[in-house]
Amino acid sequence: MTDTLRLPVAEKAELRLGYLRLNDSAPLVMARELGLYERYGLAVSLEREISWANLRDKLVAGELDAAQMLAPLPLATSMGAGGMRVEVISGLALSLNGNAITVSRELATELAQRGGLVADGAQATARAMGDYFHSAARKPELTFAAAHSFSCHIFLLRLWLQCGGIDPERDVRIIVLPPEQMVDSLARGIIDGYCVGEPWNSMAVHQGVGAIQATGYQLWNNSLEKVLAVTGPWHRQHTATHLRLRLALMEACRWLSDPAHRLQAAEVLARPEYLNLPVEILRPALAGELVTSRGQAPMAMPDFHVFGRYQAGFPWRSDGEWLADQTSALLGKTLDTERCKSLVQQTYRTDLYREAARHLGMPAPATDYRPVNAHEGSWELSPGILLGADQRLVPPQ
Amino acid sequence: MDDNAERASAVAAGLALPGLEIISVIPTASGLLYQMAQQEPDVVVIALDSPDRDVLESLSIASSHNPRPVVMFSGSGDSGFIGDAIRAGVTAYQAEDIQPERVKAVIDVAMAQFSAFSDLRQELDRTRAQLADRKLVEKAKGLISAIHGVDEEEAFRTLRKLAMDQNQTLGEVARNVIAVLEKSRPERK
Repeated sequence: MTDTLRLPVAEKAELRLGYLRLNDSAPLVMARELGLYERYGLAVSLEREISWANLRDKLVAGELDAAQMLAPLPLATSMGAGGMRVEVISGLALSLNGNAITVSRELATELAQRGGLVADGAQATARAMGDYFHSAARKPELTFAAAHSFSCHIFLLRLWLQCGGIDPERDVRIIVLPPEQMVDSLARGIIDGYCVGEPWNSMAVHQGVGAIQATGYQLWNNSLEKVLAVTGPWHRQHTATHLRLRLALMEACRWLSDPAHRLQAAEVLARPEYLNLPVEILRPALAGELVTSRGQAPMAMPDFHVFGRYQAGFPWRSDGEWLADQTSALLGKTLDTERCKSLVQQTYRTDLYREAARHLGMPAPATDYRPVNAHEGSWELSPGILLGADQRLVPPQ
Repeated sequence: MDDNAERASAVAAGLALPGLEIISVIPTASGLLYQMAQQEPDVVVIALDSPDRDVLESLSIASSHNPRPVVMFSGSGDSGFIGDAIRAGVTAYQAEDIQPERVKAVIDVAMAQFSAFSDLRQELDRTRAQLADRKLVEKAKGLISAIHGVDEEEAFRTLRKLAMDQNQTLGEVARNVIAVLEKSRPERK
């Protein structure tokens, strides 16, 4: 633990932080429950927002000081994708993985008949999805949903479809739906499947309306999911406050890296003032024991959510560049390599992560880039720095 | 787009200005895709607390004809304006070729209606609280007179004195009195 007396004085002590109803809001919530904000001299009020657009607008308008954001969103906003260009930065990632692809029961049966079992990995279900799509049995029109245009959900969903030989632009329809409406839309047959963060996959499984076909971890091991976002101007006016906030959240992430603490976190998150959902829905993914279909035995997935391990707080520029490229691809554009590099460098502030890690006496990567498809298990980047596996599905060319 | 029908019609009425035409008032994003394609609106006004904003934004990405978020954040002079709108609980989307002043006029109207509604709600909350307090005071009066054998007027004077001595509202004192007396009172026969 750092000596808080040696830290520069906070420019602002009372902060408002925005979050959405998701399992991976755990760091923001637990920092409060564990008194970590207070330890760093901050009085934080947590504001539950109903949409990412709301959260972004309030952050930009100064109604929120900082917020949990989808990893691509600071990049998209800095890029001006979707019509609004504002400098948004992140010096800390809050979590890795945490998403899954769920399809309707009918579609799940079709995939299982074609050998698509989630236990065999995302490639197996993607192949089965492709077989189904190219068979006579398929529905004339397939619709999938994701929670936001610029989210890892859409990118992972597209990747999964591509791995089944399906063109996500022409062969299927992908729409945006609020997470809370996904389960109902699936039950009513409006959509055939979706990619979303937990607990909205477990919710469909629990209600028996859908089955999980792939986890975010299976699609891309240990990819950035949520980041702590602030606007550029806010950071420049509150550098000391921002540092204290990152330290409090890094301690919360470290606490959450202990599997025993995850069950406690599930109990806390379930409360009315936070997610206001039954704890049974939150527990499977947080405990790393995912139930992929109702009535089935849980599958051990210890890295379904990753907090604080494998340098999970580090905002890798390699990951950022991939996300920025995907964002451009979605807009039907190609991002110039140099432009992409500089955009990510300005948005994903690895220097801010290293500054905070130094205060906590934690080692931080010296490089801003991590490899893809180089390691099937955890590995040592340099002495004392353990990273997780880095496999990512590769679509056929 | 607002799921509060009353507020939505107030905004619509306020917007009945020369040169503006209300194409459609809808409660949720279901059917939004169809509406956008059929009507091609220049401006969409939406309640901030609608869960469908991410849906609306995805439409503007899918097609260049669809309205995009009103961008006044980056303009140096007007950065406070959208902030005010957000605090009032409303935001808007505009087509590319619409003049900013005209959009601003639309948002101004919506903002005024949203603020009026929130004032109304606060007043309603206050009235409800007063009513609840009055009920508590009645109950406390009843308890005091039953237990101490005084008339209701005497009981009320006791309450008022307690409130003044403890620098509390009548409602607060009544609540405390009820808590204490109900605990100490023997089981009703």
